[in-house]
Amino acid sequence: MLTKTTATDVLREALKTGGDFAEIYCEDRRSGGMSLMDGHVEAASTRRRHGAGIRVFRGLNSVYVHTNDTSPAGLTAAARKAADAVTGDGRVQDIHLTRSLQRNIHLIREMPMDTAGARKARLLRDCDLAAKAVSPEITQVQVSLSHTETDMLIANSEGLFTGDTRVYTRLYVHAVATKDGDSQSGSDAPGAMMGYELFSGRVDPEASARKAAVQAVTMLHADVCPAGVMPVVIDGGFGGVIFHEACGHSLEAASVAFGNSEFAGKLGQAIASPIVTAIDDGTIANEWGSLNIDDEGMPTNRLVLIENGILKNYMIDRLNARRMGMAPTGSGRRQDYTFAPTSRMRNTYIAPGHDDEAEIIATCPDGLYAKSMGGGSVNPVTGEFNFAVDEGYLIRNGRIDRPVRGASLIGRGSEILMKIDRVGKNLRLSQGMCGASSGSVPVDVGQPMIRVTDITVGGR
Amino acid sequence: MDRNAFVSRLLASAAQRGVAGEVCYENGESFEASVKNGEIHQYNVADGMGLGFRVLKDGHTGTASTQILDEDALTQLLDGAVENAELVESEDRQFMYPGDDEYPELDLCNPELAAMGAAAKIEMARELERLTLAQDPRIQQVEECAVFSSVNERALVNTLGLDVSAKAALLGGYVVAVARDGDKVNTGLKMFFTMDPAEVDLVAVARAAAQEALDGLDGAPVPSGKYRVLLRNDVAATMLSTFSDIFSADNAQRGLSRLKDREGEMIAAECVTLMDDPHRAGSASSTPFDGEGVATRVKAVIEGGKLNTLLHNLKTANKQGVKTTANAARGSYASTVGVAPSNFFFAPSDTGFDAMAAKAGDGLLITDLQGMHAGANPITGDFSLAAKGFRIEGGKVTGPVNQITVAGNFYEVLRDIEAVGADLEFRAPGVSCFGSPCLLVSALSVAGKA
Repeated sequence: MLTKTTATDVLREALKTGGDFAEIYCEDRRSGGMSLMDGHVEAASTRRRHGAGIRVFRGLNSVYVHTNDTSPAGLTAAARKAADAVTGDGRVQDIHLTRSLQRNIHLIREMPMDTAGARKARLLRDCDLAAKAVSPEITQVQVSLSHTETDMLIANSEGLFTGDTRVYTRLYVHAVATKDGDSQSGSDAPGAMMGYELFSGRVDPEASARKAAVQAVTMLHADVCPAGVMPVVIDGGFGGVIFHEACGHSLEAASVAFGNSEFAGKLGQAIASPIVTAIDDGTIANEWGSLNIDDEGMPTNRLVLIENGILKNYMIDRLNARRMGMAPTGSGRRQDYTFAPTSRMRNTYIAPGHDDEAEIIATCPDGLYAKSMGGGSVNPVTGEFNFAVDEGYLIRNGRIDRPVRGASLIGRGSEILMKIDRVGKNLRLSQGMCGASSGSVPVDVGQPMIRVTDITVGGR
Repeated sequence: MDRNAFVSRLLASAAQRGVAGEVCYENGESFEASVKNGEIHQYNVADGMGLGFRVLKDGHTGTASTQILDEDALTQLLDGAVENAELVESEDRQFMYPGDDEYPELDLCNPELAAMGAAAKIEMARELERLTLAQDPRIQQVEECAVFSSVNERALVNTLGLDVSAKAALLGGYVVAVARDGDKVNTGLKMFFTMDPAEVDLVAVARAAAQEALDGLDGAPVPSGKYRVLLRNDVAATMLSTFSDIFSADNAQRGLSRLKDREGEMIAAECVTLMDDPHRAGSASSTPFDGEGVATRVKAVIEGGKLNTLLHNLKTANKQGVKTTANAARGSYASTVGVAPSNFFFAPSDTGFDAMAAKAGDGLLITDLQGMHAGANPITGDFSLAAKGFRIEGGKVTGPVNQITVAGNFYEVLRDIEAVGADLEFRAPGVSCFGSPCLLVSALSVAGKA
């Protein structure tokens, strides 16, 4: 994609006008998707994206130029555009690139672009039948497969020259159950940093389809969730979105560096209940939010964000590292070459605790059991967050009672972290897409079952 | 390879293969400058192109796309698109369009905008930051402040004779003000979009962002219960954008919308008229042709509460035995063809904001809704969302409210709209551009204080 000679010339060009750091990020991405509805494959497409982004820093300010033209002439022109936007004294930069390869933690056995279309179509149809078999009340099933293979390369003026190949495969099942003009949905979307071998053991596609259908049928027969402030037990897996929204974004340097986070200036302080330990980990083999190197070329790692309630680390990218006077943490991520990277999450979860799940429910005052969560969002400045409950049940007299629908949970991050009073033992991770200023990136969220003493629940 | 040569060769090879072929080509430039404390903080400049290709074989389409126009791409695109078409089993018939004799003349590329240099846009961002900080001593920071511009060209060419293109230029910006008072903190966002640089009113943008941040400093929840709700114009537009898929004939035909077979029925209050206007002046979402190259036209989707039509493309229209409404849409050059509105908005009345608050009497003015991507279900119409706003007491807007959720169902909201305001405002333009005046809804559920 890019030779050392070209990279060196382009980096020098970028620094001609006084920039003190330059980086080239090249990307070639092949992706494909197939979707099914009404029992038939209804669309199939393949896509190739290709381009490069050049970033220049001068002190705490940055410039980013991106283009599709990755020829030496195209990259030089882009570097010149970047240099033109930097004001300062030009210096001749001595740049010496050294190639490096980071260990590949994530083995891929079957590149998904090479898997025959007919096999994928068969998988989609099997999921469709499995979902419909759950109940005659299932009136529509959408199943889709998506996969990407990305080759990326990074060179920077500090001498780094490295790259990686990233492969993702994901299944998405969405079922609709209908009765008497009323309808409800259920969904499941497992994925991994893996090839098509994802479906040879790690993920059972028909089980996923059944899960989506069961959720839709259960919610169809559910009452509307009551509104009010109450204790909430959040199940493991995608329940981890609570931590992602309530805390995770507010620990990204993009907010912290400007004092625009409720957790800015709080390293070493208690920001959560003492039973809460939270991790952001890029090293879990083949996990959806994992990496070998981040999008700034740094080797990935496992970062302890909170330990027994005490704030230990922020997630910091190169530019904000300058701002904060701290080291970057391998957290620089971007959606693709059209975005400059910034600090983002990877696989972020509340670590397993010591509490027994049966006891968590049995000792819970009347409240809500959130079995399955939807997504949410947060304002890192104020800490206000929200998220949707996709499948909920009332807790009455220490037991899981009838299903309820349409609940959402809101609060402030700093408050909710302090109100976690139980953390179960069995950690589960779940996949999602996280959107922020550097675009949409694959992340895992996760936790064991946890309990929050009180949250505002929005219902009807 | 030169783009025109590439397109000709690609279409010729499709014809040779015995399939109809269609190219969707996009080319654009963009600029964004953000400032912090008067200095350029981030500066992004980009040029980008993409070429999407689809073939029509036995009534099915397959799609492939690329960002490199070389020899390899020619074969990869054709082979890929044909293979994808052969995998499709749906019984729905797809079509390609030979083009119309006439297309509406729309002026979407203001030369003054195209001529605006980087320096002028950077100065605009600096000025917006200065103005915002100057609004009030409690506005102590600006979290984000940026100005951006883009010029985009899109072309559709196929083997049946279609050959159309359009170019649009846009200027926009946004500022997020941070208000602090003791321990209290709140943010306020205001965006602007225009095709005419002379129209930009930075003072108004700064004032709106600052006011939003200041007004919410003292927010508190209200007791849970049912409330009369006045949705501010931007919030109503956001809600429309979240649920706009219910008007897609594609979704209705597939059991994903409750509006299936309801054309001609009353589905909203009599005061509700919902327009789809692809010719709206000054909008980057306006277009002379839809995603299949059909000439666009203005239509009332809901008129006086009655559903006139759903939105169609050639496939859905054929399935239903009607004419296409020219609402075929591609998210980008790489997308398959779906359905989307263009400029989609509730038609305003002449009832001013104060009169709308008076009509509300006692209730809530909602000025912010969060979590739309998760807490709203476009299929069922249900929503349960974090909200902020103000109390309305005795017909007047009083104290700020936050940490509440608002829940309801969009199909019910349409029927429960009691009044429509005059202050029509549009959101960010994309494939679609959603707008609304403020809307008074008779009842929504609120969760707040116990």
